[in-house]
Amino acid sequence: MEKLLRSKVFVWTLLVLPGLWPLVPLLRQDPTVGADPLKYILHHLGFVACILLATVLSFTPLRVIFPKSKLALALNRHRRLVGVGAFVYAALHLATHLVYEGGFHVLASDVKKPFLLTGLIAFAILLVLAVTSLHRLVRALGAKHWKWLHRLAYVAAGLAAYHQAAARKLFPVQVLWIFIPLALLEIARIMIQLSSQRRAAK
Amino acid sequence: MNIRTPKDWELPEAAVTNESMYRLRNRRDFLRTLGAGLAGAALAPRGLFAATAGFPDKENPLYPAAALKPTAYEYITSYNNFYEFGTGKDDPAEYANKGWKTDPWTVELTGLIRSPGKFDVNDLVAKTGGIEQRVYRHRCVEAWSMVVPWDGFALAKLVALADPKPEAKYLKFTSFLDPKNAVGQQDSYLGWPYVEGLRMDEATNELAFIATGIYGKPIPNQNGAPLRLVTPWKYGFKGIKSIVKIEFTDKEPYNTWQRLAPNEYGFYANVNPKVDHPRWSQASERVIGAGLFAGRKDTLMFNGYEKQVAGLYKGLDLRKFF
Repeated sequence: MEKLLRSKVFVWTLLVLPGLWPLVPLLRQDPTVGADPLKYILHHLGFVACILLATVLSFTPLRVIFPKSKLALALNRHRRLVGVGAFVYAALHLATHLVYEGGFHVLASDVKKPFLLTGLIAFAILLVLAVTSLHRLVRALGAKHWKWLHRLAYVAAGLAAYHQAAARKLFPVQVLWIFIPLALLEIARIMIQLSSQRRAAK
Repeated sequence: MNIRTPKDWELPEAAVTNESMYRLRNRRDFLRTLGAGLAGAALAPRGLFAATAGFPDKENPLYPAAALKPTAYEYITSYNNFYEFGTGKDDPAEYANKGWKTDPWTVELTGLIRSPGKFDVNDLVAKTGGIEQRVYRHRCVEAWSMVVPWDGFALAKLVALADPKPEAKYLKFTSFLDPKNAVGQQDSYLGWPYVEGLRMDEATNELAFIATGIYGKPIPNQNGAPLRLVTPWKYGFKGIKSIVKIEFTDKEPYNTWQRLAPNEYGFYANVNPKVDHPRWSQASERVIGAGLFAGRKDTLMFNGYEKQVAGLYKGLDLRKFF
């Protein structure tokens, strides 16, 4: 398992497959999807972006909580790849939104609505983080600045959770099972780090 | 000779594209239903036949053409909002057909009326004079739309049957409550049963309709069997499904979606491209069944029925009473 997870090809496959998933109901002519196929693709891409964002953010806490786990270590090799994957899905999601709504002009009205503004800000953050993931820029920024900048990913996750919840008439439960595990992992990680800091101070 | 002035919402039966042309699958089913329906016609009294099979009244007067292309039967019956059976668009088609019984069905007319009573749905159709077909635009508050060939009867006929007292100002509609068979009702978040309401003058407007069929067939469970409200100038959620009670009252009913989110959904819910939903625009809509590359269509004031209903709202601030 750990060997498999270390493999870049394996992770790439896991990242690309969800993007192809909409082909299944489209080819099967599922009438519920066929009724408005673009809406299905739009929601699906956003959903995958949220899952990947929550997934990549869980890597560090997993390593802190299970410092001896080779699995956690293997996962942490792919932080950049999965993070950029989340950005790519968010970009495809936004592009689909623009086609779905009929052009760039909708962005002007989008910024007035919290549901859409939160999505746009989350995307802007992911864009900055993806660009600053280039080797050259990581070096130029320096480790300390880079780390602070990339903590914005947590802001993006919070905004994405709100954005996803607001997309439906009623609160969709899937938001909880995507983001609650991440929140729990983060709480555990902070508690562990605080207690080890206290121990170091003694 | 009796010369009849055609109404704007009317459509000739000939202009309605044959439903079998639209269907992607199960065509044999349809033919079987058609056969059974024709066989039943010979035995059953006319009104009853219309109610049970949902077939359009053949004596319906000729309709002038309207530029509406009905949505495929398959989409109308598989892309549904019916939260009693789950919040996914595909949930109702699955879960409303797993043991939930819509036959026999009783509707209660009650409140400030002179002829209260409980009616079997077939008797009710017979008493209101049988079934006719109307092709209406259907606009969901989620900014998508369909065109549906409904079968049913004018709500005004039901109001006349109930014979309201002068103090009756509103109609309060209540849907069924059956958490055992309606999985969505096992969650209490929506506050079941579903409730909707209309002002008396809205209910007696010529457009207000009680549907018992789609495409000349009995209305499927997922679309609100055996009878539902259709108010084509309002957002779809006003069209309460599977009605069990209609109460005539002097108080404005507090409808389900208004109770859930009063800042997003009001009592009136008139289709209005100029008043946005707080989370999305209502200026345009996606047309169901138009395909992957179809663009959006501008949403029309009162969903294109301004001529028939604009008079009902003269002097009403539509931004405030959305």
